[in-house]
Amino acid sequence: MWRFTAFEALLGPEDYNPDVTLPVHSSGAGRNAVARNARRSSRSRPAALKGRRGCERRAEGAMWGRLCGSGRILLLAGAARHCGRPHRTQKLFSTSSVLSATEDEPTAPTDSTTKVASKEGAAETPKQKLLKMIGDMKVEVTTKRKFQQLKEQEIKKQATNKQEGLHGGSSTFQNSAEDVQRSKPLNPELVQAASAVASSFPHNKEQAESELLAQLRRHEETTDKQRRGGTINICNVISEMTVKRQSPAQRGVRISNRISLEMDEDGQRIKPGRPSSHSDSGRSLKAGKRLNIFTKASPETENALKTVSSPTIWDLEFAKEIAAVTEQPPRNGFEEMIQWTKEGILWEFPIDNEAGMDDGAEFHEHIFLEKHLKDFPKQGPIRHFMELVICGLSKNPYLSVKQKIEHIEWFRNYFEEKKEFLQEI
Amino acid sequence: MAASALCWALRVARQVLPCPSQTRSYYVDWRMLRDVKRRKLAYEYADERLRINAIRKNTILPKELQEVADREIAALPRDSCPVRIRNRCVLTSRPRGVKRRWRLSRIVFRHFADHAQMSGIQRAMW
Repeated sequence: MWRFTAFEALLGPEDYNPDVTLPVHSSGAGRNAVARNARRSSRSRPAALKGRRGCERRAEGAMWGRLCGSGRILLLAGAARHCGRPHRTQKLFSTSSVLSATEDEPTAPTDSTTKVASKEGAAETPKQKLLKMIGDMKVEVTTKRKFQQLKEQEIKKQATNKQEGLHGGSSTFQNSAEDVQRSKPLNPELVQAASAVASSFPHNKEQAESELLAQLRRHEETTDKQRRGGTINICNVISEMTVKRQSPAQRGVRISNRISLEMDEDGQRIKPGRPSSHSDSGRSLKAGKRLNIFTKASPETENALKTVSSPTIWDLEFAKEIAAVTEQPPRNGFEEMIQWTKEGILWEFPIDNEAGMDDGAEFHEHIFLEKHLKDFPKQGPIRHFMELVICGLSKNPYLSVKQKIEHIEWFRNYFEEKKEFLQEI
Repeated sequence: MAASALCWALRVARQVLPCPSQTRSYYVDWRMLRDVKRRKLAYEYADERLRINAIRKNTILPKELQEVADREIAALPRDSCPVRIRNRCVLTSRPRGVKRRWRLSRIVFRHFADHAQMSGIQRAMW
């Protein structure tokens, strides 16, 4: 970095003793000159060090500040400023100014050159011409409707041709028409474009042009064929083809098998050997005919397994233990949320307002509770009371049907116990 | 009695899952323990109390029945009434200055809020 080398040069020789090399003849004139030079340099400095050089100034200040501790450097600075090496500092600053000027200059001329180039080149190079031509050309977009229209047109054409054929002698006309179309000259614009592209080739321009024109002709033929043939041919072709599916697992295996990042002890990369055998075996394991070498497990044992009694407490504990041992801490936030949802800490989304409450009962079971009042007396204050209770329960959305029935049951039991007492009253 | 209560407290507190975060294996103090007992009993007897009170606070049923109900409800354990529950601070068991939403006393709340450990809490300034 030229900036710092300047200061390194300034502070370079640490063994420089300013006291010794103070010039003996530091006359007043010399001093003034030095001062003037210093002032000039200081004045020129801000002119040179603007904008981008602010960091340099800051660096300079930082460097001065950092080394302020050592008095020697201060003295050095002082000496440099006043008498020591004014010319060198001036030179350094002048170089900096020169360098800065030179840096600014290249950027300005390059801008101007690019502008000039852009203005000049457009008209001249054939490449630009070609690009312009291609940009001007319109792209014919065939939508579905258009395609159907084309189909209808060609069907009509075929019908008319068939009619003509019946009369006879039109087939030759058709063939001649095709020949005429084939020999129809290509679009002049395309020809021009082809010539421009060929001219931009480094060598064999004529050959390139002829090849391009041949390609164009072939392209035109194919498009004409397609337009006449319609979609029928394509359908026939595609129906015979089958799609080879590659499972993402296979794909991943193949990709990972290509590059191995394992390192040997020496630091050499372990290249994979021939993994084709493994992949072949992997594919052949699942596919292919069964050899029926191994007999299936007999159905008796299967039935025996199924008829095992419900798992005991010890089995449950064992299963819990296994789960607790094998579970890993969640790798990311998603797994953490899954764990919480399983524990019941986090609700299930989308939020179901009747999450823990739905007992599968219909609304009429909640509202029409008079059928539970069969055991109660039909007259009297108790009946009145119970009817009020039922009215309240029917309006309660927080209790399940079971809880409501339990409520009524409790009252029934209570009044049964108090029957004798009530009869005394 | 104290030993049995302590055992009961330990049994209650030991149902702590092995999690790496801060765990409290004991209740903060005895008052908190008693509050916990009251809450449990209140939960158990809540339905019965509701039904007996429905009989009591009545103008339809005969008064004798209501007096019997009065006696019955008075015979229930004293800790079963919900009025005896005190919303203490969950961390310090402070009975006063507890914000209901966070179940924390004002001092603990302030401590956590200043350390930015309360979600959605910010120092008010207006």
